[in-house]
Amino acid sequence: MPLSWRSWIANEGSKHFILVSRYPVQLRPVPGLPGQSVTADTVGYIALFCERAERKVARYASYKVQCLFLNLKYSCGLFQVLWLSTNIALFWKTFVSYCSGPQHYYLHKMLGLGLCMSRASAAVLNLNCCLVLLPVCRSLLAGLRGFQKVTSRKARRILDKRKTFHMACGIAIGLFSVIHVSAHLANVYSFSAWYSDEFPALNLARHRGEDPRIIMFTTVPGATGVLLVLVLFLMFTASSYSMRVSHYDIFWYTHNLSIVFYVLLLVHVIGGVLKYQTNVEHHPPDCFRPNRTAPGGQNSGFVNSSQVDGLSKVCREEPQFQAHFPETWLWVSGPLCLYCAERLYRYMRGCRPVTVASVVRHPCRVVEVHMQKSGFRARPGQYIVLNCPHVSSFESHPFTLTTCPTERNATFGIHLRVLGDWTERFTDLLLAEPEVGAEILPVALQRRYPRVYVDGPFGSPSEDVFNYEVSVCVAGGIGVTPFASVLQALLDDWQHHKLRRLYFIWVCRELQSFRWFAELLCSLHQKLWQENRPDYLNIRLYVSKERGLQSLSEGRYQVLSARLLIGRPRWEMLFEEIGRANKQKRVGVFCSGPKGLSTTLHKMCNSNHFGATFEYNKESFS
Amino acid sequence: MGKIEWAMWANEQALASGLILLTGGIVGVAGQFRNWQFAAYGIAAGIFICLLEYPRGCKAKGNGVQRPGQYCLTVCVKAFGPLTRNYYIRALLHAALCVPGAFILCTVLGCVCLAIASIIYLLAAVRGEQWLPILPRAEPREKPGESIKEPPQNPPPRPPAEMRRKRAEDMEGAAYTNPMPVMPNEY
Repeated sequence: MPLSWRSWIANEGSKHFILVSRYPVQLRPVPGLPGQSVTADTVGYIALFCERAERKVARYASYKVQCLFLNLKYSCGLFQVLWLSTNIALFWKTFVSYCSGPQHYYLHKMLGLGLCMSRASAAVLNLNCCLVLLPVCRSLLAGLRGFQKVTSRKARRILDKRKTFHMACGIAIGLFSVIHVSAHLANVYSFSAWYSDEFPALNLARHRGEDPRIIMFTTVPGATGVLLVLVLFLMFTASSYSMRVSHYDIFWYTHNLSIVFYVLLLVHVIGGVLKYQTNVEHHPPDCFRPNRTAPGGQNSGFVNSSQVDGLSKVCREEPQFQAHFPETWLWVSGPLCLYCAERLYRYMRGCRPVTVASVVRHPCRVVEVHMQKSGFRARPGQYIVLNCPHVSSFESHPFTLTTCPTERNATFGIHLRVLGDWTERFTDLLLAEPEVGAEILPVALQRRYPRVYVDGPFGSPSEDVFNYEVSVCVAGGIGVTPFASVLQALLDDWQHHKLRRLYFIWVCRELQSFRWFAELLCSLHQKLWQENRPDYLNIRLYVSKERGLQSLSEGRYQVLSARLLIGRPRWEMLFEEIGRANKQKRVGVFCSGPKGLSTTLHKMCNSNHFGATFEYNKESFS
Repeated sequence: MGKIEWAMWANEQALASGLILLTGGIVGVAGQFRNWQFAAYGIAAGIFICLLEYPRGCKAKGNGVQRPGQYCLTVCVKAFGPLTRNYYIRALLHAALCVPGAFILCTVLGCVCLAIASIIYLLAAVRGEQWLPILPRAEPREKPGESIKEPPQNPPPRPPAEMRRKRAEDMEGAAYTNPMPVMPNEY
């Protein structure tokens, strides 16, 4: 992971350069290496520029811009650079082909710059419409994650960043759609104003000076284009951060319009409006046509007496035009089929009903639900999506599994916090008391739980906890749920994992929240002590609300009382301690909590002066 | 579905439509197409709509995510009072503004998007929503209680002198007191 701009450039560039001194940056090229593309000075200036930009951002920019900058800085890896360069290369190649390619000569004369811009942006749109579907195939990615071959950290980091990649592709689609539509608006005007009498096959308008609005709305590409813009408009306006946070359902329902978008897109490219010349060898562009008189207007370029030259450039036949094959079908059909198959698979998997085994109420508005489903298998750290038709037919909500099914116990459990109206109604249904005065039924029939459908499990970065020798799990409040499943798995069998030491740091606002997993923590601690591995689990509990004297009064939670601290954790000291105790090791840091916590930890992991290498993995909830 | 505030979505849509109208107007004016005056109108209307819709209102619960740098525009928009607070007037305004955009091709898209935003604003107005500005609240400083002005006159009560004197029989107990009982093998 890049540490700072200078050291990143030094690390990546060290293949070609030798770092002489760190500050100021002095790089001297290794002699004998062919074709050094970047000079030492340029690299030094780039590093200095980036550091200055970073300091300016830290001083002036708002918090959100800072987070974005940090995200870009630490995640600007090979994958992102590859994506960006592919987009730029595709844009440039298509632009040049339409601007100066001989098969587009006549069309370019009619339409001008609008042609090149619209086709180049269309090529980039093809690529991004293809790529945007891939990160949302959640089951496929969960399967990839579990596949043993994908153990390289770089591959897992790419899978972790799927949401960011989806957003990047979406933003690229929006941006290039604006360019594409603007360029095509200019093209429609050009088709109307520069109607070609020479080559009627090239025209889109029916006569010179036709109203551009009629051209737009009465052709297939035009009408589908307008509908595409409207669908994109609805999708984009509902996808902003504030809309996702406050009205997730509007975001979800409008995003499902993407299937309409793709159907319209496939129809949009059928039109065949822009044509290329097929017989360039027999009719080179701008060739001399001996039997033609000079027509007026723009297309008189080739009747030029100075070009009369019997040897070169004589037209042997009339130009013939043909519409391009719709390339978009080739780009989009693969990922679209994959996505449709994924949705079908998830629907069929989610159709099997789930029985609710037990419901436990916990303090601080948390409810634990245990369920059972035949054939359900999950790994610690994965999450499921619940749907309860009785509460809402279309809404589905993700919850991390806190208990995974094992050979001994086939039930799986979630802890859900009652925060919005869906969770409130769901818990009301679950905790409803049986009616007083009803006949006494056997215990198995007394509780009538609502019907629940479960989709999943899907993967998350927390699954990687077992891939490190030393892991640090930092949880904020209810974010502890992925780590609870990890602890549960350790309780079942801690010996057969690569993990040798786990630091468990849990920050809560109220003391009573610790009761959610107090039993689990105490029993795991007890088991490890009895099996003579006291250093395996290190628990630190923090209560951030500093009012009054707080302690867990029960005797059986004495282990936790001894590890309870009031106030927020001091990350510098914690990291120093962990680094000292695990020198020269790769320590995985897993954060599951609010944004501020994750930014602080990310920065801490990258400061790199603690003796061990900290690798940061973040769980995202929205 | 829960309580949806349509005004929030309508605000995002109106801002986006303003930008689309502005872009279409720029394309029309730059290309100097026929009837480009409508495109110039599109630019002016687009800028006006962006300025009007940029400050986000707060939700019914009183909280809201601000757009960066929206404070000055919030003050300006708030100054118009009921004209900007009422969503019926906004819906009507957007419907009226979108009509001239339908005359040339460049601004047609902006016109359609603005019409959709106007419909959603109408829906929000029918549900009784209002635009309330997000203004920074002055945090009241926590005042210490009144008793801080009156320091205590007497020292805290203590047991009488005989009990306080150290006794010779119990030297260890007199030397220090354990705050909690000490047991072997504490974790």
